[in-house]
Amino acid sequence: MVEACGAAPQGLDAFFAPRGIAVVGASAEPGGPGHQIVAQLQQTHYAGGVYPVNPRATEVRGLPCYPTVLQVPGSVDLAVVVVPAPACLVVAAQLASRRQQRGDAAAAVVVSGGFAETGPAGRDLQDQLARTLRAAGIRLVGPNCLGVADAHTGLTTSFDLGPYPAGGASLLSQSGAFVMSFLQWARPLEMVGLCKLASVGNMADVSLTELLAYLAEDRCTRVVGIYLEGVQDARGFVQTAARVARRKPVVVLKPGRTEAGGRAAQSHTGTVASPDAIYDGAFRQAGVVRARTVSEFYGVVRAFERLPLPRGGRVAVLSAVGGPGTVCVDEVASEPRLQLARFSPRTSQQLRAVLSELATVGQPDGYVDMTGALVARTHGDALRVLLEDDGVDAVILLTPPPAFLDEQEVAQSVLEAYREQPPDRAKPVLVVLTFGDAAMAARKTLEKGGLCTFEFPEEAVRVLARMVEYAQARHRFQR
Amino acid sequence: MSHPAVERAARERRQVLREWEGYELCAAYGIPHPPWALAHNEEEAVAAACGLGEAVVLKVSSPDVVHKSDVGGVLVGLRGERAVREGFRRLRAELERRAPGARWEGVLVQPVVAGGVEVVVGGLRDPQFGPVVMVGSGGVLVEVLQDVAFRLAPVDREEALRQIQDTACYRLLQGVRGQPPADVEALAEVVVRAGELLVAEPYVKELDLNPVIAGPQGCWAVDVRVILDRDVPSVGEGTGQTSSYTQDWGPATAE
Repeated sequence: MVEACGAAPQGLDAFFAPRGIAVVGASAEPGGPGHQIVAQLQQTHYAGGVYPVNPRATEVRGLPCYPTVLQVPGSVDLAVVVVPAPACLVVAAQLASRRQQRGDAAAAVVVSGGFAETGPAGRDLQDQLARTLRAAGIRLVGPNCLGVADAHTGLTTSFDLGPYPAGGASLLSQSGAFVMSFLQWARPLEMVGLCKLASVGNMADVSLTELLAYLAEDRCTRVVGIYLEGVQDARGFVQTAARVARRKPVVVLKPGRTEAGGRAAQSHTGTVASPDAIYDGAFRQAGVVRARTVSEFYGVVRAFERLPLPRGGRVAVLSAVGGPGTVCVDEVASEPRLQLARFSPRTSQQLRAVLSELATVGQPDGYVDMTGALVARTHGDALRVLLEDDGVDAVILLTPPPAFLDEQEVAQSVLEAYREQPPDRAKPVLVVLTFGDAAMAARKTLEKGGLCTFEFPEEAVRVLARMVEYAQARHRFQR
Repeated sequence: MSHPAVERAARERRQVLREWEGYELCAAYGIPHPPWALAHNEEEAVAAACGLGEAVVLKVSSPDVVHKSDVGGVLVGLRGERAVREGFRRLRAELERRAPGARWEGVLVQPVVAGGVEVVVGGLRDPQFGPVVMVGSGGVLVEVLQDVAFRLAPVDREEALRQIQDTACYRLLQGVRGQPPADVEALAEVVVRAGELLVAEPYVKELDLNPVIAGPQGCWAVDVRVILDRDVPSVGEGTGQTSSYTQDWGPATAE
């Protein structure tokens, strides 16, 4: 592996664009986390140097291994530390020496657990670790985390996350398992493109808030998804999120709805002011989209990652399935931010021209039931007409797709109509494929082509409602 | 500098402001409330009632009572001298009976405020969020209905309006069953002012304006409760952190 050259990265760039990575605690034998991290970096073809560090090995996966970070010859901007907690203090001291001697080693990800999450003794250890690194001017992500990744460059400090489809969604998480679940769930159908990822663990130094501000400036990041359990300075977090939300969507999943207020209050206000209720209001104020459920979080992040923002809440429902289409119309009608679109006479006329006589158009408003009397390209033809109507801000398209049609032809027909839109006036299209696993191939084609697909109509409706909510907040900010 | 009512409470090591002290604090921040008079005896109560209007409200005043209705301490819609005298005596008797040992400071006399929607406007200082304002369905059922929305203070008028719209109470305010719509703009202004109060008074821990009567022309806080931080420093120790909460949500630029 050749060492990337160039100037030392500044600030948090040392985490996301290091010239070289030392993996401290990489074992020669497969199985350990350090060994796995080296393996992942090889699989992602990370362009920078990868340096296993372990006094008991001379080679790890074909790479020369060094006894300590002090012996690594190339530039090491980032050290990933997976040794047991007490040994982390020794590594921290070595990193501090290296930084003093060589001027690199600006960032450390401490993956190891056994710190503040375990009790007072662990808390002491964590404080010592953070102090040593801070005194040396070394920034710390973790401890007790999966660390960072960038799917565009192949950077990863995670033993789980190897090569991943690159895209515009950056994720910050107070749970490594949460963010890995999302990515693994979305992987087979490539339903999300990953940009940067940070699993922050105990946040002994680098905080969610700081990372969020960093991602605001990151050009590859189109949307930031955050799994939030809680931060000390909630106000600072919300104010930063508000600033970021003016530029790109911020989606938060924050559990804790059942958490009791816990305030020994003497007033009505104090009694009803649960942290959850305050987060709720603060997020609305900030233009942050709060997802209610895991599936909503997945859906909203995916939609923001690849679809254009709707300009309003007027929805057309285009369906090849009667029942699910009716349910979808019902769901749209019950979302305060959405309305069923009113088709122009021209749109109705054009729809009738491309659809069978059996089809119903605009009954009720905004609804088109294509019925089963259709061919593959009918999907695209009808979609094209709807997207051209100025009274339509978004389309939800439902199709099985029918077993008597070629599902790839259906997918291609939809994609063509979607992609013909002028980029500056493009509208989002959310596709619901009701045949579940039987529609996998069509779903994959649509996702690869830049559309967002769903299994259930209500899922698509809620996601669209959150998109409209954000679009309205952003409009407000821009005035 | 904290408001004199807060300073006074601090000197006396009290955590709860008297209701009329709460009104003084409200007045300083432009939160409208009905006029009031503190009567120490029946004669003063009658005189005050004559000056305040046809029907009055009498409320017990005691630094030891936080929930007046729990001690039978509120009488509404009293008309005429006899009713006021009887009311005065009754409040005193109820206090002695239901809260033995509570200090009696007299009776607060206020005019009855004409009908409207009962709203709660609240505020609190949260360790993680700093000053926060709340608005929603008010009255004695606040905790039951939980129809409230929060914002970080300070808020501007527009944000306060959106906050009000987040609650089911907003539909009541628009007028239902033939009621005229309430003055929502005025209510939003109360929310804005409550936020300013929370920001400027660092020792106010909790604030209840409950209910605020939102009528067709204006809103009035007809009861107020102010809880101070336990660690109120005595006068002169300074109130440093007042300016750290701003409405700066960053530059309004987009990509």
